[in-house]
Amino acid sequence: MKRTGPVVFGFLIGMLMLIQYFTQVPWIDDRYNNVLDWKQVVFGITLILGVVSLFLHHWKKIERKTGGWGYSVVTIAGLLFMIAAALIFGREEGPYPWMFDHVQAPMQSTMFALLAFYVASASYRAFRVRSFHAALLLTAGVIVMLGRVPLGEMMGFHIGEHYFSLGTISTLILDYPNLAAKRGVMIGVGLGMTATAIKIILGIERTYLGKGA
Amino acid sequence: MVTQSGQGEQMGAGEQQDARQGPGQKTPRWTHEMLMNMDRRFIFVVIAIAVAAPLIFPLNLPVRSSREAEAYFNEMEKLQPGDEIIFSFDYEPDTMAELDPMSVATLRHAFRKDVRVLAQTTYAGGVGIAERILRQVAQEYDKVYGEDYVFFGYNPDYSATILRMGESIRSNYPTDHYHAPTDGIPLMKGVDCYDDIELLVTVTASALAEYWIIWAGGKYKQRIIAGNTAIQAVLIYPYYQAGQLAGFLGGLKGAAEYEKLIGVSGAGLLGMDAQSVAHLAIVCFIILGNIGFLIQKSRTKQTGGPRDSRQGG
Amino acid sequence: MWEQAGIVVGALVTLAIFSLLYKDNPLYRFAESLLVGVSAGYYLVQYCFSAIYRKFYIPVIGEGDLWLLPGGILGLLILLRLSRRVQWMSRYAIAFYVAAWSGYLIPSVLQERILIQIRSTFPPSLAEASIWAVLGSLFLLVGVVSILVYFFFSAEHRGALGRISQVGITFLMVGFGASFGYTVMGRVSLLIGRFQYLFQDLPQALSF
Repeated sequence: MKRTGPVVFGFLIGMLMLIQYFTQVPWIDDRYNNVLDWKQVVFGITLILGVVSLFLHHWKKIERKTGGWGYSVVTIAGLLFMIAAALIFGREEGPYPWMFDHVQAPMQSTMFALLAFYVASASYRAFRVRSFHAALLLTAGVIVMLGRVPLGEMMGFHIGEHYFSLGTISTLILDYPNLAAKRGVMIGVGLGMTATAIKIILGIERTYLGKGA
Repeated sequence: MVTQSGQGEQMGAGEQQDARQGPGQKTPRWTHEMLMNMDRRFIFVVIAIAVAAPLIFPLNLPVRSSREAEAYFNEMEKLQPGDEIIFSFDYEPDTMAELDPMSVATLRHAFRKDVRVLAQTTYAGGVGIAERILRQVAQEYDKVYGEDYVFFGYNPDYSATILRMGESIRSNYPTDHYHAPTDGIPLMKGVDCYDDIELLVTVTASALAEYWIIWAGGKYKQRIIAGNTAIQAVLIYPYYQAGQLAGFLGGLKGAAEYEKLIGVSGAGLLGMDAQSVAHLAIVCFIILGNIGFLIQKSRTKQTGGPRDSRQGG
Repeated sequence: MWEQAGIVVGALVTLAIFSLLYKDNPLYRFAESLLVGVSAGYYLVQYCFSAIYRKFYIPVIGEGDLWLLPGGILGLLILLRLSRRVQWMSRYAIAFYVAAWSGYLIPSVLQERILIQIRSTFPPSLAEASIWAVLGSLFLLVGVVSILVYFFFSAEHRGALGRISQVGITFLMVGFGASFGYTVMGRVSLLIGRFQYLFQDLPQALSF
């Protein structure tokens, strides 16, 4: 009941979803649609569980007065304020969308914008021509970086009568060696995903169920 | 701007090597050390200036459109008045600087052609973004909610959402984002699954474009174009070459190319000068670092000292 | 009025986050904690509306469609993870979710990510395409095959296999280089967005 039950249940559901791809039986189609709907509810509730866990984590920090608990107060205040704003004024207008537009969105986008500085610093420090392959990576990176912006598109060189702009060279890199690399990885990952999915349905792979499964 | 000790920067290999040489051997070691160990805050300041200066003093560099952006534009251009498209805002505020210009330009193109838009998002954080952009562009073209466009909001579980919409959009979305029953929305008359949709547009910061291709494109034969962040764009080339994706935009540059093609300037075109100068600055830093590295390497060879422990990797 | 105030607030929180570039400081940590709380609150409201109200309450309670009831039950089982005593029951919901995903993933991934990709790697005939297109496709084929050989770990990479996998590494390095170039592009674009906000939107809102 605790171990085999979930695996058998998973097998039945997995087989239903797999079989539906190859058949056109109305009953199977209907159950397939039901499973898709259930899956959305389960996913949504799982996300809610995540927010509840976040709340409990910060609540415990406040209760125990652990280091930086004041910041946990800010987090919980922000969370409760948004819920109250949506309940009182609605999701369409008032403080709920205002907080999203003018607090959450600017902060979230700035958090990622910080990476521009760090990526510049890391590129400067890490990219050294230490070997043939490192040189290749660096050259491809620099050509793509310059070739995909207007300034780089204006740069180029002549070989005889032919003019090669960095834009053209970067397109060639993206269309051939890059495409081959991405496709090779994609096929490899695809095979891995398929093998794992089969093992999950057959109950061979159970680690996702947690300890003792 | 040589790194000071105690600032969290590690001593370079060349620095260690030179320290071992002793006072008797005079080598002008400041050059390569300086080139290899610039203070990170100096780099930050240069990058900030490289981005800010062109925004304040534009250079107006010409933007050339790529083949992929032209394919994206052509797919939109083929649409007829009254056709329906699904527009999925598959991103959150973290990448809105890159993707908002694509969404705005695509909706402008669609509304200009009187194409009707079924908008949705597979990210909870995409709701606010979608509402803002839809409101803004619909106002520009006097479009009416419910007749010219509809917003279904967020739906949990992207894979189930994509597949469920192939069977029935109404069942997937019993109401729109504003609680109105989907059956009662005028735009939804005669529209219920991918068969009724001319084109699917996903603007995404994640692998969502791949999932739309695999499920909506593969299983339901839906024609798809995608706007991607630069990071994702490079991964999408195999799908485009295989014909599974009809066209795509890559990063802010892709947005700028598309803005140029539709003839409406936006944040994409405005940002291209800054993008160019910042890239040039980063390339200069990489070159300077490597010049320092090569000087150090040649000196190590001359003095016959130990190799950089990181060499050969 | 509220819009203008919002842009000023947005600029202030933007600067608070940027302050991390100098060093970690209380202002940054305050902004970071606020971001976590506000985002979690925002998401929670969206999850409740979409998953509970629209996907469960309306069909089951509003329209009496009992076929959707098991979705709610499975969702409740997920919540049992919070209790150690009955935590095992949540395995049914997890097994359901993962197995359903696996079921519809297998045929689609096989078809779209493997078979079509392999087919598109083979060169067209000279009757269909130019000599350059055929040569380009052959180059692509060499790249894909050598990368797959590189990822083939069931045999030692020696002799011919070793040399082919070296070719694979060469292709991979160029591919990583392209990814690196685009990564820089993406990150710089995000910074441009914030600077546009500070240097263009903010002065406009303040009517400078």
